[in-house]
Amino acid sequence: MEPVNSQTAPSPALSETTFDSVASPRPERRTAPRTWETPPAPVPSPHLDDYQSIVGSAVIEELRFLARDLKGKSLKMVNSTAVGGGVAEMLNRLVPLLGELEVVTHWDVITGGNDFFEVTKAFHNALHGSPYELTRHAQEIFLTYAEQNRQRMQFNEDVVVIHDPQPAPLIRSRHDGPTHWVWRCHIDLSNPHPQVWGFLRPFIEQYDATIVSSQSFARPLPIPQYLFYPCIDPLSEKNKPLDDSFVQKVCDEFGIDRSRPIVTQVSRFDRLKDPVGVVQAFKLARKYVDCQLVLAGGGASDDPEGAIVLKEVREAVDNDPDVIILDLPPWCALEINALQRASTLVVQKSIKEGFGLTVTEALWKGKPTIAGAVGGIPNQVIHGLTGSLVHSVEGCAYQIRYLLTHPEFAAQLGRNGSEHVKENFLMTTNVRRWLLLLQILLRGATT
Amino acid sequence: MMAAASITLQRIPAKPFYFNTSAHLLRITKYKAGTLAELLDALRECPEDSIFQHTFRTLEEHHFLRAGFSNDFAHWALAACNEPGLAEAFASVDVREFTSVAELRVRFIQILEKYLRENPEPGTHVADEPFYFCASDIVVMPTSFQAHTLHEFTEGIRSVSVHSIHHHFIEARLRIKLMSNDFSQWLHEDAGLTETARSLNRIDIYTATLEDVRDQMVRILERALT
Repeated sequence: MEPVNSQTAPSPALSETTFDSVASPRPERRTAPRTWETPPAPVPSPHLDDYQSIVGSAVIEELRFLARDLKGKSLKMVNSTAVGGGVAEMLNRLVPLLGELEVVTHWDVITGGNDFFEVTKAFHNALHGSPYELTRHAQEIFLTYAEQNRQRMQFNEDVVVIHDPQPAPLIRSRHDGPTHWVWRCHIDLSNPHPQVWGFLRPFIEQYDATIVSSQSFARPLPIPQYLFYPCIDPLSEKNKPLDDSFVQKVCDEFGIDRSRPIVTQVSRFDRLKDPVGVVQAFKLARKYVDCQLVLAGGGASDDPEGAIVLKEVREAVDNDPDVIILDLPPWCALEINALQRASTLVVQKSIKEGFGLTVTEALWKGKPTIAGAVGGIPNQVIHGLTGSLVHSVEGCAYQIRYLLTHPEFAAQLGRNGSEHVKENFLMTTNVRRWLLLLQILLRGATT
Repeated sequence: MMAAASITLQRIPAKPFYFNTSAHLLRITKYKAGTLAELLDALRECPEDSIFQHTFRTLEEHHFLRAGFSNDFAHWALAACNEPGLAEAFASVDVREFTSVAELRVRFIQILEKYLRENPEPGTHVADEPFYFCASDIVVMPTSFQAHTLHEFTEGIRSVSVHSIHHHFIEARLRIKLMSNDFSQWLHEDAGLTETARSLNRIDIYTATLEDVRDQMVRILERALT
């Protein structure tokens, strides 16, 4: 067993703390950032060369070589929203980068009334396995708007990529021309509602290929299915390097004591993220090792269920002064970044998960990460090598204790996790996958 | 030996070395296994590029790990099936002992058949997670690096991506059908540095990251240059 105050600790918080340490007087604590009411202005998109210092010049050069034969080829992305949500966020970065590589990339967004988006939200939940009664009326709404969008849009590009189920019927615009059609599904199809999947499947089978985010999301289909892991942008507000003075300022504002170990979960207040389980695990672990818990989330102010979950979390916390609950608006990316960087450990104790990009963010920042073995998390966290996988509150508590008392091992997990993200889950890897797909579709691959 | 090397270095290698690299796109195949018995069936039937993906390619995807990860079959046997004995046997398969994927497939099948003969019960245990057989579509491309001298060759190894190192040093044996690699072949055949070629080929890829491998290569080449 390593001593708690090992000199080789990954962070000052680990090396300077013992179980018996006495916390310094707690500064005034805010529960929301000062930026609450004022979303920051959007920052300009980075250029390809900006990534060179992160992934190395050879990797950027490989992207340019891959793009060389694709110059002048055109690509159209179609999804259902231009702002908000992970798909729009990803396209906002990807489209300019592909354009910089001289792959002409257009991005169109479908339109629809509230009735359309109510139906598509219900489809989304049903494809995740929720109960649903697919009515003829819902099908008509879905197909009517799809047809309106189809009439409005042109598809003259070399490759058309349709994101998620909402625009899937646009495949009806497929003619005998050379355009290749790809369906990019970002959602978990491992246990889809049979009626809804049965309704969508005839559209999907007309595409040339599909792309899914995890092996387990693939469905039996007669077309090639590619695996594109979701990715993070290392230059985004949420992931870019920060001055330690800013990290300190954020911690001071929220009353987080950086001289003591900080365990953090960043997630919406959603039962599937098990925030109550995290509080229980923290309380079990703290019997043996001193630490604070930060639960940084959102969704409680605009989601009735989120507010209920937040109330449950507060009950579980029971005014424990070492638990800091933050209900943050979606534009607090810099604050989230700072909280992750200030953390000694990051937890993502999800019960159900898509890919788990908060895990990717923590790993990228070199944080020892403890995560539920669900959804796409095991693709990122290889137990004992790039992080710790857990299946229970008790398991989570044990890993918190173990990693806080074995800082060298924890630091090694953090280093490996960051390398894993660099190799497999960064925006540059995503650009490479798109270029490869275009190469394979347009001129055939060397296999 | 030193004398031979220095004599060789006086002349220009017969042919330049062109550094290439390869990029891979993961495709999900129709094969998956929920038990060890199903894994055996799928190992027999899956396409060769699946075997390649879960052995050669996964080493590249996890090139930053020094220990604990050798191939996806070993990882699954341990993490999803809780069969450490089988995991150890799978993990002991060194891809560099194979010049064809067909031979490599046979080796994994033999290991699993033997394990299930000796331990029939785990064959039908349902794993925590299924094993999904994937495959790679590969695009090979040039880099801007080429070497006309040993000095340029060393610089190339120092500068290319780890994907290029993997392409020439690990995947190459499937292309050249030799227990060697592109770098050693060039050093031996075109630069006349047989001992340096052998030293490169002896670098252990399972106890080092690909960056470590690169560093070891550079050290070996710098010794040859002096």
